Amino acid sequence: MKAIIRHEIPGRLRVHFARRRLSFREADTLHYHLANLPGVESVQVYERTADAVIRYSCDRGALLAAIRSYDPAQAKAPPEVLEASGRAQQAAYRERIIASVVLHFGKRLLLPGPVRRLLTWGRALRFLWRGLRTIPQRRLRVELLDATAIGASVLSRDHGTADSVMFLLDVGDTLEEWTHKKSVSDLARQMSLHVSRVWRISGDTEALVDAGEIREGDLVMVRVGSLIPFDGVVARGEAMVNQASMTGEPIPVRRSAGKSVFAGTVVEEGELVVRVTKVSGSGRFDKIVHMIEESEKLKSNAESKAETLADRLVPYTLAGAALTWLLTRDVRKAVAVLMVDYSCALKLAMPISVLSAIREAGSHHITVKGGRFLEAVAEADTIVFDKTGTLTKAQPAVREVISFNGADARELLREAACLEEHFPHSIANAVVRAAAEQDLQHEELHAEVEYIVAHGIASTIAGKRALIGSRHFIFEDEGVEIPEGERERFEAIPEGYSPLYYAKDGQLAAVLLIEDPVKEGAARAIEALHREGVARIVMMTGDSEGTAQRIAASLGIDEVHAEVLPEDKARFVQLAKREGARVIMVGDGINDSPALSAADAGVAISSGAELARQIADITVGRDDLEAIVALRRLSELLMRRIHFNYRMIVGVNTALILLSMAGILPPATSALLHNASTLALGLKSTTKLL
Amino acid sequence: MDWGKRCGIFAAGLLFGTAGVRILVSRDAKKLYAHCTAAVLRAKDALMDQATVLQENCTDIYEEAKAINEEREAQEAAEEIEEEAETAA
Repeated sequence: MKAIIRHEIPGRLRVHFARRRLSFREADTLHYHLANLPGVESVQVYERTADAVIRYSCDRGALLAAIRSYDPAQAKAPPEVLEASGRAQQAAYRERIIASVVLHFGKRLLLPGPVRRLLTWGRALRFLWRGLRTIPQRRLRVELLDATAIGASVLSRDHGTADSVMFLLDVGDTLEEWTHKKSVSDLARQMSLHVSRVWRISGDTEALVDAGEIREGDLVMVRVGSLIPFDGVVARGEAMVNQASMTGEPIPVRRSAGKSVFAGTVVEEGELVVRVTKVSGSGRFDKIVHMIEESEKLKSNAESKAETLADRLVPYTLAGAALTWLLTRDVRKAVAVLMVDYSCALKLAMPISVLSAIREAGSHHITVKGGRFLEAVAEADTIVFDKTGTLTKAQPAVREVISFNGADARELLREAACLEEHFPHSIANAVVRAAAEQDLQHEELHAEVEYIVAHGIASTIAGKRALIGSRHFIFEDEGVEIPEGERERFEAIPEGYSPLYYAKDGQLAAVLLIEDPVKEGAARAIEALHREGVARIVMMTGDSEGTAQRIAASLGIDEVHAEVLPEDKARFVQLAKREGARVIMVGDGINDSPALSAADAGVAISSGAELARQIADITVGRDDLEAIVALRRLSELLMRRIHFNYRMIVGVNTALILLSMAGILPPATSALLHNASTLALGLKSTTKLL
Repeated sequence: MDWGKRCGIFAAGLLFGTAGVRILVSRDAKKLYAHCTAAVLRAKDALMDQATVLQENCTDIYEEAKAINEEREAQEAAEEIEEEAETAA
């Protein structure tokens, strides 16, 4: 498409496309296309003027060539991206605000007096009605205060003040609504654009394909811990499905053949084969928005505290106004006192601070589902870490396969890999990868695979019962025996690795030594967390005692619990909470879900299972633990900002009230100062914290 | 008010109530309203476009200003390093 450069500085380009205007779809598609070009840091597309602003660090010539070769007729963007577009919403709100401003000043300049007065009366009635409606609730609320102020102004023929007041209140309301809606849709966008690959069943085989290739009528296999990627009907299998993202129910429901399932829900137990009825663009974004808005998660304690406090201050403001009127008989002064109300400032500044912090967290690839959790992170004194995949690299590697039944180590690895293939666990991935590196093909040698959470996998190979799992699972639960004469070799297994035990037919067949290196920067992160005031850092793992102790010592962790079952993790968290601690749980696996729910703030690392990500209150999109330190700092700064805002608002407004009561400030000025300080605080609250 | 005026006002009201309202809601009048509203909407669109252009230009100016300042600082830092190197040498 033809384009000209309107403005350029090194690294930033604004181009105008040879069109008068772009539709929302075209703008979104262009944005998607430009943002995916290599070397492009950020893109902003203005649909009204068909302009695009591009920040880039790549070669200028290449960028210009790419822009020139963009063909809007051919270009397509994935439906999920188009669905999750916030463009129309943003355009609508901008228009509302600009229209408000223009109409307000336009009315003053253009309309004749009587008409203006009529309009003012009309609008005033709306506010009066809103205020009167709160009286039956037997609580004095802000709306009543506003109604009184506006009513008093209008009755004393001060239409100018009444107009200004109503204008500011309307603008404030619109801004608050816009900020709220925008944050909700930003959050939903982060959450909805996630599922990328699914297991498609064709005939007897399963293949991992891109979600974009699935069509209606395809069969998709969904296993434990995975997200159901599309709306569909269960063709085979039975499972407990967690539908919290759709209906908000935390209790899973049983789904079997013939029943329908929804995109975005998670399989907690069992597995399903689903026949897809609606492909991508099945309204997942809308469902998530619905879920977020329905959930109570958005309100933070600090926030609601501020709001109820605001309402509690109303009687004092009313009393102050009445007092002023009695003492001075000047209605305007009394109105001035009414105008300086704490609540509108509080109601504007607090939600804006929280939502802005959530958005800033998003820019660090941290998805926070509610202000309440930032508050919990700030106040936490205990952090519980899961080991595998959280503190250790998400890519453990198989070091050695020790055969115990005389069979070739490679054969055993092949069998192990074909069992481990289906599960979203980092250790399972390690086994599969090791087999792939040795070029071991493994078509489905086994019958159906049963996954026992946190313990292992059970199946049948060539008629014999095959098991892979932890020591607890293999030896204690299933009673596997070490073959004759191999006991010495067994005791001689080197320390320092995480062993995975593979048993066939009741006898130990092999031990796979898995090396689980600690993430770089983990020690630094733990130290930083200690410095930020988290006194107690705990590591819990299902792994062996030896490995756990070794890792804990190298990282500086305060408390270690090894060979732990999932229920124990949750129980530990609950115990700590009962003792008065505020606990953050950081985990990545399915078996962390109960603990994640129990903690004050549950943090899921993104490379983990879908279920953990859904249940968690906060999701960290990156692999390194620095993000958790950043999260803690962000939360503390947010809390500091909220307290600062609160003191500022009470302080400034009380001063204004006293000044206008004393007659030092004329009422118009005090109202102006109140509004200006409110707006300034609101704007300041949108700035970055870190 | 004298009798004549009262008659006049009554007549005006009658006229308005019958013919006047008819004219106001007639098809031609509606067309007029439609055209006027269309013009107002066009004006609103033009206003929005101008606001966008204003925003774009302001952002351009702001970014350029930042770039200029960064360059200045880089230059000053470079000069400092040169000076230090000279005095050290």
